[in-house]
Amino acid sequence: METKYAIDFQHVRRLYKRDEFEVRALDDVTIQVPEGRFVAIMGPSGSGKTTILNLIAGIDHPTSGRVAVGGEEITGMKERELAGWRARHIGLVFQFYNLIPVLTAFENVELPLLLTSLSKTERRDHVEAALKAVGLADRSDHYPRQLSGGQEQRVAIARAIVTDPTIIVADEPTGDLDAKSAEEILNLLVDLNRQFHKTIVMVTHDPRAERYVDTVYRLDKGVLAGVETGKRGAPVEAAGAHA
Amino acid sequence: MKYAALIFKNLFRSKRRTLLTVVSIAVSLFIFSVLVSIPTVADQILGDSASSTRIATHNKAGLAYPVPIAYVQRIRTVPHVDAIVAESWFGGVYHEVSDQFPNLAVDPDQVDIMWSDWNISKESVDQFKKIRTACLIGVDTAKRFNLHVGQQIMLRGTLYPFNVTLDIVGTVSGKAPPSFLIFRRDYLEEAAGQPGFVDNIWVKVDRPENVASAIAAIDAGFANSSAETISESEATFLGNFMESYRTFFRMAELLGFIVVLTIGLVAANTAAMSIRERRNEIAVMRSIGFPSRTILSLLISESLLIGVTGGLIGCAAAYGLLKAFSLGNIVMGPFSLVRMPPSVLAGAIGISILIGFCSAIVPATSAVRRNIVDALRMVA
Repeated sequence: METKYAIDFQHVRRLYKRDEFEVRALDDVTIQVPEGRFVAIMGPSGSGKTTILNLIAGIDHPTSGRVAVGGEEITGMKERELAGWRARHIGLVFQFYNLIPVLTAFENVELPLLLTSLSKTERRDHVEAALKAVGLADRSDHYPRQLSGGQEQRVAIARAIVTDPTIIVADEPTGDLDAKSAEEILNLLVDLNRQFHKTIVMVTHDPRAERYVDTVYRLDKGVLAGVETGKRGAPVEAAGAHA
Repeated sequence: MKYAALIFKNLFRSKRRTLLTVVSIAVSLFIFSVLVSIPTVADQILGDSASSTRIATHNKAGLAYPVPIAYVQRIRTVPHVDAIVAESWFGGVYHEVSDQFPNLAVDPDQVDIMWSDWNISKESVDQFKKIRTACLIGVDTAKRFNLHVGQQIMLRGTLYPFNVTLDIVGTVSGKAPPSFLIFRRDYLEEAAGQPGFVDNIWVKVDRPENVASAIAAIDAGFANSSAETISESEATFLGNFMESYRTFFRMAELLGFIVVLTIGLVAANTAAMSIRERRNEIAVMRSIGFPSRTILSLLISESLLIGVTGGLIGCAAAYGLLKAFSLGNIVMGPFSLVRMPPSVLAGAIGISILIGFCSAIVPATSAVRRNIVDALRMVA
């Protein structure tokens, strides 16, 4: 049976020009992530982890190669098209939460739904469900400044899942949290993966993350250095590029 | 409407900044509306006299030079002339110099025919013709100094080396300048020692279409004389007075535009600061999937709301002030005629919209065009 890939990177290169210097953020990277997996991308600073995330999320473009997400090739999409695609398929979680400070938790989670044609009542139902899923139903009218770091990140996760995206992309979701909060967030992501079969791609430095993911992709200087089975997941089928 | 909450929440992100920006725009448009409305006083005065059949005849060399009183008899022979009234400016002072109001002496015989639109009662006209020291005063002057019919009033001479004591026999209103006082020229002549010259001769013709021919006939009659005349319709005569204020009016309008431009630049800087602070949020919204044009619309909507709110407040304040001027017109004199015409109101609102739009368009466009990755990296 053909495996359906949630993420399919084929020989992707990403080069940046910084003044007169050319930076190779990614160099001929091929990755295929099946649907429903919880994977981590790890590596030292500057290894290209966030670049991969940006390419998956469609907020950056490869210099060469092919990127398909959810079975849809996004490599040649124009910016306006990509914005709509992101709204439907991608849920983003940032290291520093990036909640809008003047909006309540409810309003922050509702933000992506404003792009849909849902009625106000429907939006409210979706938001309440998302906040309940992350355990913050009783904090919906709190502003970010009234929440702890862990709670803010859970609101950010609720915002990421409220549109029922194809893929959740998390950039260092535990990077700014204490150990207890970090564990709560990782457990929450595992729950989302198990209960809702969401494909989750997480960039992290956190060594504890290996215990929560199916597969770990290791990057070094823009090159895929290795693929390992996470402490949680199935064994790797073949050496190389896919899980 | 679903974005309304987002817009308002961002507007009140910094309440002080939003309030100060609204107030600054309101003040600038208040100043603009008042200054640009000032020239309407000229329009009002000239509009009232546009269809007048009165002609002002005076020395061609200028109003400072008199014409012989004998000209009156010769003008009577000009076709279509209904009435003639000679006038001399007295320019006296009542009490203090600050209590000045226009006062002049006229021939009494045809004053009711000449100024039939001044609402002078028949009784007042009869008294004016009968009593040598009689005077008629404008309603504003009467109200200002609490003067009544039957009272005496003394005017201290400024151009003339004597004072005049007058008996108030009636008021002038309607199209009359509200602060005027007119008394009899024969009284002035006697006090001045019968000089036999007047400053201006008012001529009334039978129909407006005869004004031009009467003017031509009058001036032709005194061509090549020692005191050549220039005759003008009342509208032109008053318009020439307004001409001396034209520079002031133009300066007032220019000042109004400068104030608006200055505040517009301040508002633009404030908008740019506000948008710059939110670069990261804008990048986050774009990464969530908000199209650039939606974010641009949200940012410009915020700025437009600030601009239009300030504009409405400023216009309302200007309208109220000018209304108060007209109600307190005793003190304001001719400037009580200043009104805020609909064109100024529309212009001020238009400017407020322009300020709102222009202050946000450049920084907002720059923010939404910035590369998302770079923008996220900047603040992260």
